[in-house]
Amino acid sequence: MPLIVRLAWRNIGRNKRRTSLTVAAAVFAVVLVVHMIALTSGMHDRMIEDNVRMHAGHLQLTGAGYLEDRTLERFVRWTPALAATVDSEPGVAAAAPRVNGFALLSNGPASQGVALLGVDPAREGGVSTWPARIVQGEFLDGEAREILLGERLAEALGARIGGEVLVYTVAYTLENAYELFRVRGLIRAPDPRLERSLALISLADAQALFAYDGRVSEVAMLVRDPARLEATRAALAADVAVHSTEPLDVNPWQRVMPELAQLIRIDDVQNYSMLAILVVVVAFGILNTILMSVLERQRELGVMLALGFAPRAIFRLVYIESLLLSGIGLAFGLVLALPAAAVMERHPVPITGDIQKMTETFGVTPVITWELTAWNPAIATSLMIAIALLAALYPAAKAASARPVDALRSL
Amino acid sequence: MIVKSPRLPQPRRLRFQSWDDRSGKRSFIRVLEPPKDRGSAFLKLQQNLWSYVPRVERTIRVPPSMMLQSWMGSDFTNDDLVRESSTLDDYEHRWLGVAPSHQGVRAFVIEHLPREGAPVVWGRIVVWVDAAKSAPLRQEFYDEAGEKLRVLTMGDFRDVGGRWYPHHWAMLPLDKAGHETAIDVNEIRFDEKFADEIFTQRNLTRKE
Repeated sequence: MPLIVRLAWRNIGRNKRRTSLTVAAAVFAVVLVVHMIALTSGMHDRMIEDNVRMHAGHLQLTGAGYLEDRTLERFVRWTPALAATVDSEPGVAAAAPRVNGFALLSNGPASQGVALLGVDPAREGGVSTWPARIVQGEFLDGEAREILLGERLAEALGARIGGEVLVYTVAYTLENAYELFRVRGLIRAPDPRLERSLALISLADAQALFAYDGRVSEVAMLVRDPARLEATRAALAADVAVHSTEPLDVNPWQRVMPELAQLIRIDDVQNYSMLAILVVVVAFGILNTILMSVLERQRELGVMLALGFAPRAIFRLVYIESLLLSGIGLAFGLVLALPAAAVMERHPVPITGDIQKMTETFGVTPVITWELTAWNPAIATSLMIAIALLAALYPAAKAASARPVDALRSL
Repeated sequence: MIVKSPRLPQPRRLRFQSWDDRSGKRSFIRVLEPPKDRGSAFLKLQQNLWSYVPRVERTIRVPPSMMLQSWMGSDFTNDDLVRESSTLDDYEHRWLGVAPSHQGVRAFVIEHLPREGAPVVWGRIVVWVDAAKSAPLRQEFYDEAGEKLRVLTMGDFRDVGGRWYPHHWAMLPLDKAGHETAIDVNEIRFDEKFADEIFTQRNLTRKE
């Protein structure tokens, strides 16, 4: 060990109580940072997964420009070849084709305009949680001319399970299209407004009703590894382009649900501002300790300078002391925080009681989750290094600039 | 009615007959062709609109939220069926001036602005009226943000019992490239006496 490091190590060992208090502050900061980041990223992951599973999927394959102009003109030809391409894409876990249209639903004197969603009963459950959100009756199973209504929509229409409603719309061919559908089940949507204007039918029925002939509006997909979303997106976009005569888009959830991506970004900014404040507070604690120890050692430092120690070496000495303090704090902090966070990652905390019902209504899984990534200790480490560098700047400069004569006389 | 759209290899043609009682604010339309749509019928009483679909024999009330939806797949909207007779009640009218030569004729330019609380879907309508023939030449429809969304032009003016009536109506939506709907009037008669039973829900379901 070089002399200077040995000196620094002994220096921080001189006042054990002060050193351990400072280290404790650093440990506390590290534990806080690790858990805060783990909780935030756990929460964001939960939000993303819940929203993705609600309807949108991680990726959406659509006709080019569909997100900006959601009309029947923009479509994907859902051919067996295209389905095989999507299904054999290594990064894609599940895919569900859908037809998105508008229709007027009528039952006796009541009528209501709705978003009419055509889904493939065999595939939809692989991507979204629609099949799990049936509150009465059953999900579609491929039987022709059966319909699922939002619970509030059924109420507005006065429709009951087993009853018939008339679906009335304009087909792709600009012909009037209408058909009677039997109500198979009632479905609950997270948003009451959506629930009042949402109905699901089978993909085959939707294609027949809209005269859509093998076309779909979108193919929603889940990916195997959300961390590799962009790579999967790019690979899929390249592969499907081969099979399509029309230009297609493959959009990530961030483009499909920009408001969610923005919400998460805003939350990140808030959290990192909190971390920045924490860094400043801890940095001042360490600054205080080091400055005290430098002031106490004025005479000693003066002697060292008088004996020919270079000011630069003094500067380094103080810096190494600061780095050692933070380093010890970081090591203890990580040892304390990481295993705890790893345990929590495997044991999410369920939320119960009234809050549980509330979160479930919004389609959010009622659990508090931790998520540990390699980023977490990396961020904690770089924060502590930043703290050490920041905190030592003034005391080190002060120690290095001391004039031996003044320093010797000062005490 | 001829509907042109980039979706269609050939324009779609419909033939229909309509009864319009302006003073009673009621009208009735029955589709005659193509065979697939024969028997489809529409009844308007005041602001209410009903549609009858023959194959499943149901009458549907078209709610106000669907007024801007396409009528029979055309570029005319459900609102266009309802709107005409209520224009005088629902809009304030402002004289914008005289166009000395609009498509070669002297035309008055009039602006319709919706009255407070009127159940209308447009923010503004500007109308050109042939000064000599007192017949409409052109209507431009603006949304509430002031953007021009569609233009209706009239042509083929014929004298029908002392009235100049356009026998060709062409609707051009400006936000949908390649779409256009034209209505050609084969025959029109004015001042006919109507039986009240024309404007009933029972008449909707009647097979001719």
